Amino acid sequence: MPLSVDFYTDVVGAPVIDQLRRLGERLKGVNVVHVNSTREGGGVAEILRWLVPLMNDLGLDAKWEVITGNEPFFSVTKSIHNGLQGYPVVLQKKDWDLYEDVNAQNNERLSQILEEADFVVIHDPQPAAQMKLMRNRRKGIWIWRAHIDISRPYYHVWRNLKPFVQDFDASIFSLNSFAQILPHEQFIIRPSIDPLSEKNRPLDKKYIRDVADSYNLDRHRPILVQISRFDRFKDPLGVIQAYKIVRKVYPVQLVLAGSGATDDPEGQEVLDEVMEAAADDPDIRVLLLPADSHLQINALQRLADIIIQKSTKEGFGLTVTEGLWKGKPVIGGDVGGIRLQVVSHYTGYLVNSPEGAAHRIRYLLHHRSKMRQMGNTAREYVKDNFLLTRNLREYLTLFLYLLKERGYSLYV
Amino acid sequence: MNAGGPAFDIKDCTLLTKMSGLPPVFDVRDLRDRIAVCRPSVIYHHYCETPLSPSFDYPDFRNDFAVWSKRQLEDNILAERLGMIDPYTFNSMEDLRNYTLDVIDERLCEIHTVTSVEPGHEFYFQDAITIIFDTGHVIHDPSELQNVIPMLTYGSVYYHFLEARRRTRGAVDDFSIWMENFGKEWEPYIEALRSIDFLFYTLPELKQELTSVLRRTKGTL
Repeated sequence: MPLSVDFYTDVVGAPVIDQLRRLGERLKGVNVVHVNSTREGGGVAEILRWLVPLMNDLGLDAKWEVITGNEPFFSVTKSIHNGLQGYPVVLQKKDWDLYEDVNAQNNERLSQILEEADFVVIHDPQPAAQMKLMRNRRKGIWIWRAHIDISRPYYHVWRNLKPFVQDFDASIFSLNSFAQILPHEQFIIRPSIDPLSEKNRPLDKKYIRDVADSYNLDRHRPILVQISRFDRFKDPLGVIQAYKIVRKVYPVQLVLAGSGATDDPEGQEVLDEVMEAAADDPDIRVLLLPADSHLQINALQRLADIIIQKSTKEGFGLTVTEGLWKGKPVIGGDVGGIRLQVVSHYTGYLVNSPEGAAHRIRYLLHHRSKMRQMGNTAREYVKDNFLLTRNLREYLTLFLYLLKERGYSLYV
Repeated sequence: MNAGGPAFDIKDCTLLTKMSGLPPVFDVRDLRDRIAVCRPSVIYHHYCETPLSPSFDYPDFRNDFAVWSKRQLEDNILAERLGMIDPYTFNSMEDLRNYTLDVIDERLCEIHTVTSVEPGHEFYFQDAITIIFDTGHVIHDPSELQNVIPMLTYGSVYYHFLEARRRTRGAVDDFSIWMENFGKEWEPYIEALRSIDFLFYTLPELKQELTSVLRRTKGTL
């Protein structure tokens, strides 16, 4: 059965669903094409997996297209990604040429679909060159949706990418601090999670126990869990360091779990470093899970006493939202969107070092009632503000506004 | 059924924030400079639309300037002064802007050093677009209101109870103005609704309080 907003009525209430339907009525038949660079792995693919069918359910005509490329192309886009997050990477002219060439090959395949769209939403830098490559851009409104933290980009990377994004009609950032100087309107849409997805829906206790057993986790001892790609900016080595400090005084177990993404060739290298750091410690589980291991990830988060997300750079941090939705306190890096979600003493703690993370883990393990209180608070905030219904509503609001700006007559 | 007065059309609104185009603020002087030149809609957004913005927080104060002054600037005196400003008591955004500048100027005279926040803790001036639309739901009698409020979106609560203060005579909410059409028996309800100290509620709390106030008033009659 196709995904429908009605499925969410029990979670968010009928008024919220009614509101979406009314907004959708005013956008009936509007043709929207989302473009990104992977169907599996990472937060963007997860968002598009529900955003596209729900837009269709509300009466829009939404599609999801993925650009394809070879390993050198994704190495370049990974470097662009890292550069935008402030990492000093070297990209030569040939790299930018490759970026544009592969985008051009994709554009031959996609140009007709993109030409016919009322809205084209380009997600992240990988397909950003698509707009500049369009020979015949007739009616569409083009939006660049940046999901990553580009608050302090490495200048040489941003300088080379900017010509590809500055001619868009609008851009969307996850946080106001990520916005850049661009000659068009910049909107802030915070990401969200799908409460009914395999990653977030309630699970029965037996399944959770089975997952614990399958990974040989002792349910009678505290479990710390960080779910993320094996990426340097997620600081998995820092998490191991924090765990080792705590382990000296508390018999905790650590789970570092994530899946690979087809657009992230650096992942294996980081995974190897993590495996080496975790070697010989039977209480650390390093799990490279298949991309579709959503139920296992859900169970691991529910098994956790504390969720860790010790990133040093983070766009928004959907894994933090997922942890909070499951009523868990989160210890997160004091960066990006984690700052927005983890309010110290309220929904968890923000930390700036492995030592800080260790300190807060120990504090929480000694204050169990505080953990429960934080978890309850967190779940309510996610329900009111960070579920996909809010995200969807903001996209619809943006479309209505941009159509109105273009002089389309809309009754709102 | 029409009980003697006009019907009440329930409206809804959605909000989307956008960047104002102003540089970020790192200290109280920056804050003053940006407030002095920003668009009136930016002032309105930071004073009045805070409850509609998604948040994980439960701040002490209900406007963004006061929250930032307390949390990031760590100037509690400025935060307290800004936090007690009721934006709905001003005739215009210009009056509100001038009053805010007065408060900041006074504080600037008192402090010996202007401290800056660390990068990552700066204040960003934002604006918002609001789309208002009919829900298609209509109430004919004030007695229906108590059962209807729990079914409203937060957007509707915001539009009819908070945003209404910008466009109604006497800067009051839409519900109580509408009740004025239905005779003396509704006066206790009007008074009760207008007595709600709305500045200290989040939208979920306000929705709950509206229902409670109507129920309590009914119980006392």
